[in-house]
Amino acid sequence: MSRIGSDDWVEQQELRSEYYTGFTGPARKAFDRVGPGPRFFAFLAICAIFPFFPTVADSDFLIRVGVNVLLFALLALGLNIVVGWAGLLDLGYVAFYGFGAYMYAWLSSSQFDVHLPTELVIPIVITASAGLGLLLGLPSWRLVGDYLAITTLFFAQIFVELMLNLDRLTPPWRDEPLDVTGGPNGIPGIDDMRIFTIDFEQTRDYYFLLLAIFAVVVVGLYYINESRTGRGWRASREDPLAAELMTTPVNRLKLLAFAMGAAVAGLTGSVFAAVQTGVFPQNFEVALLIMIYAALILGGAGSISGAVLGAIIIAAVPEILRTPENARYLFYGVLIASLLIVVRPWKRVAGIVAAVIVFGFAAHEIVALIWPDVVVGVEDGGLGGLLDSWVLVVDDHETLVNFAFVFLVAAVLILTQLRGESRMLLLIPTIYLAAFVWENRLVAEPSVTRQLLFGAILVAMMTKRPQGLLGTPRVENPI
Amino acid sequence: MAALLELKEVSKGFGGLQVIGHLDLTVDEGEIVSVIGPNGAGKTTLFNLVTGIYRPDDGDIVFGGQSIVGMEPHKIANLGIARTFQTLRLFLNMTVKENVMAATYGKTKARWWQSALRTPGSRREEKEVEKLAEERLAFFGKRLVGYRMEQPAYSLSYANRRRLEIARATGTGPRMLLLDEPAAGMNPVETHEITDLIARLRTEGGYTILVIEHDMHVVEGISDRVVALDHGVKIAEGSFEQVATDERVIEAYLGAKAVRDEAEEAGE
Amino acid sequence: MDVDFFVQQLVNGLTLGSVYALIALGYSMVYGILKLLNFAHGEVYMFGAFIGYFVLSALGGASSPSIPVAPLLVIMFLAAMLGAGLLGVVIERYAYRPLRNAPRIAPLISAIGVSFFLQASALLLFTAQFRTYDTPQLIPIDTTGRIDAGPLHISLTRILVIVSTIGLMIALTLLVSRTRLGKAMRAVSYDREAAAMMGIDPDKVIVATFFIGSALAGAAGVMFGLVFERVFHLMGFTAGLKGFTAAVIGGIGNIPGAMLGGLIIGLAESFSTGYISSTFQNLIVFGILIVILLVRPTGLLGSPVLKKV
Repeated sequence: MSRIGSDDWVEQQELRSEYYTGFTGPARKAFDRVGPGPRFFAFLAICAIFPFFPTVADSDFLIRVGVNVLLFALLALGLNIVVGWAGLLDLGYVAFYGFGAYMYAWLSSSQFDVHLPTELVIPIVITASAGLGLLLGLPSWRLVGDYLAITTLFFAQIFVELMLNLDRLTPPWRDEPLDVTGGPNGIPGIDDMRIFTIDFEQTRDYYFLLLAIFAVVVVGLYYINESRTGRGWRASREDPLAAELMTTPVNRLKLLAFAMGAAVAGLTGSVFAAVQTGVFPQNFEVALLIMIYAALILGGAGSISGAVLGAIIIAAVPEILRTPENARYLFYGVLIASLLIVVRPWKRVAGIVAAVIVFGFAAHEIVALIWPDVVVGVEDGGLGGLLDSWVLVVDDHETLVNFAFVFLVAAVLILTQLRGESRMLLLIPTIYLAAFVWENRLVAEPSVTRQLLFGAILVAMMTKRPQGLLGTPRVENPI
Repeated sequence: MAALLELKEVSKGFGGLQVIGHLDLTVDEGEIVSVIGPNGAGKTTLFNLVTGIYRPDDGDIVFGGQSIVGMEPHKIANLGIARTFQTLRLFLNMTVKENVMAATYGKTKARWWQSALRTPGSRREEKEVEKLAEERLAFFGKRLVGYRMEQPAYSLSYANRRRLEIARATGTGPRMLLLDEPAAGMNPVETHEITDLIARLRTEGGYTILVIEHDMHVVEGISDRVVALDHGVKIAEGSFEQVATDERVIEAYLGAKAVRDEAEEAGE
Repeated sequence: MDVDFFVQQLVNGLTLGSVYALIALGYSMVYGILKLLNFAHGEVYMFGAFIGYFVLSALGGASSPSIPVAPLLVIMFLAAMLGAGLLGVVIERYAYRPLRNAPRIAPLISAIGVSFFLQASALLLFTAQFRTYDTPQLIPIDTTGRIDAGPLHISLTRILVIVSTIGLMIALTLLVSRTRLGKAMRAVSYDREAAAMMGIDPDKVIVATFFIGSALAGAAGVMFGLVFERVFHLMGFTAGLKGFTAAVIGGIGNIPGAMLGGLIIGLAESFSTGYISSTFQNLIVFGILIVILLVRPTGLLGSPVLKKV
């Protein structure tokens, strides 16, 4: 809405100062004050750790996590071009990743018995992905927002469907079915990459390859964003019509964004195919798309460092969730950290934590007295041992835990509406309830937990901090 | 003087409603022409036709000797027609300086891969663009320079936003400026300033200007020629005095009955 | 051509189309009023189907229902509609309302998050296994449970679905065109601020819209369960996508359009499955969507929009 004669900056002053309250207020304020330039260099400094990661991380598992983080970071960077900079909601993005992977597989496996040299395959993959990106970008000339989103989402669906089914169709020029994609079984046995004289065999080798690609992509994108092309994207996101009338060829820039994002995704996909030595349709489903979006939104759409930070979090967290013991540390750590952020005078945090502990012991004792057969101990050792007589763990009462989960969701939703004392009071049982649901169900089901988490991240970030962790807050055009 | 912009028999309708009908309009090089008319007279539609947002149903629009009908808007803008908007349309989340720099897209050449590689050419161009933006902003005195250049456009006051829109339009390197109600929502002091500013845009910037304005003081102060529209048809054209006293113009603004009443009163 | 087979596909298409049309209505109503693509709508439909299933189980299951079939069906529908409606209202309150004035991309991403969260919740609560309504036990398909017209047999379940869809649509049309609430909805969808100045509380109208739209999705869920029997946690995604496509094809924000679009999608799907191949039915639906969007971006029954400057 345009308010003639009013000044948004002045109007929002109060809002802004209120934004930085609480224990972490000064820290957040200091953080938000740092300009985008210094932030980017701080980001580069942090990225400097990456090359030394393999020397520290000795296990193959950790290297694999590192590879995953880099794959995600590249995907988030590519998506950031389209969504963050050009402002186009592309829900077909994951198809480019899959397309790149399948392209690599077709050109370097026994599927068609084609084994082209990698230094030839990669340019082909990049060009073909960019071409497909152009094609999918074309609807963006006429469709905006939701319509574009749904069209591209359909595209992603169709891609998976084609990959699932293009193994038994008979083309008109043949008598027998042609197996293009291997159907649900995918294409196994893909060649390793070999670029000129360097052989890539171990996961560690691919880690360094991905790191090199990552460095090139980050630096390239940083400079593009600072150039007329980046300004053109930002202008067309802000107001496509005004941008067009200020000499910006909006349609061409949209296509460029689609093509560039697709090229990054395709390239990443081909490395993924080589690392995994196989491609399967279920690698490229919508769940992955949601993860990439969660990474970008969490870190901050429109910001390179945000995309990378988000990718690190999103790719690393599930790995931590894999073992219950680590997952526990993460869960209770995040719980206390979020208390520190949400609860205003921090002395209260201590009070709440104490209250929750007392509440837990009391609840545990009471239930153990009146209903002794349901209470079983948390497994021994570590944090689990500490929790043994605090959190209730019940056996074979799935319905009870289900209800607890529903109540937990309801309690969290209500909490967001309450203020003051009642909020603090409700917070105590809610935290206990969360621990209950966590110990009884979620800790044992990391994949569901992950999905719940990513869904919740998207909603929470959009409603509380739409600019993400590292993005700059935006105002909307009064149209 | 040579005609810079020429509309010949231009018509435009939306679903049976004729918004512009057989309009002829010429703007000479270096001229300031005002378009007036009551709400719904088709003034903004006229701008949208010239800038290529709409395509005329009929007729021809010639700019600098070249027909621009059917051209993409960014190409028309690149030929030298820049405009501002009645309801401001700034790039609010970009800085003040970036707003002007974004308008230089058509006049710059660096391809994306040159920018990614930071070729010397792209760096030089970037510096030139930045300097140009600073110059354009300095046209408005101290209002848009200094620390303000690095602030997001949404932090500007309303009047400064209007100024920034003009600065952005001049960033495209135009020959002609189309200003859509530049004084709307301004207080009397600011309105006075706008009058001076438009005059300076011609003398110092060398732009030909076509302006839509409701404030008759501004129109009187700046116009070489005034064109009055009503229901998409040109009802009067000439100097401010001629148009302001034209019976059809008064009728369009005040309604036929008021004019008749006045005439009767004068007759008695 | 085999007439029996053709009629069978036609009835299949109409049944499927009914389900899609009901889903499309929810999309369309919400879009009409908020200009928001409620991505979580498909998940609401899935929850509706599960509520229907659990009500059925609680009342003895399909094989030995503890009350007569007719009231049982009514209770199933009412419970699913109420549950889904409330779920819709909660989603609106917590995921969309805080973003009322945010950029358009924000509620869309929030909606994707809700959809993902609900899917995961369903996986947690109901596990990944299929649940079956076992409708033939409830409404037998022998001679008592079908209508015979010469060589044709049409099951009573399908007729029930088609008839109740028509009933719901008539009720909705009357609601929108005849009642105060309907008038308020139309006012808010034209101009929320102006409506607010005329004394309409837009929040209330929006909540009502979400409730009604989601309740229709809940009913669609039960219908799907009755006809196709199997319900599972992923059923909402594709159905939601197709429901939205139906809404777009008919002209989004347009109630008769949503019905028309649903029928087109349902018929296209059932005929392509019947006569071409079931593999590429999504491809065909997608093709229809693209053609309609490119040829007539505002849908078959939508009115063209002017570009405002």
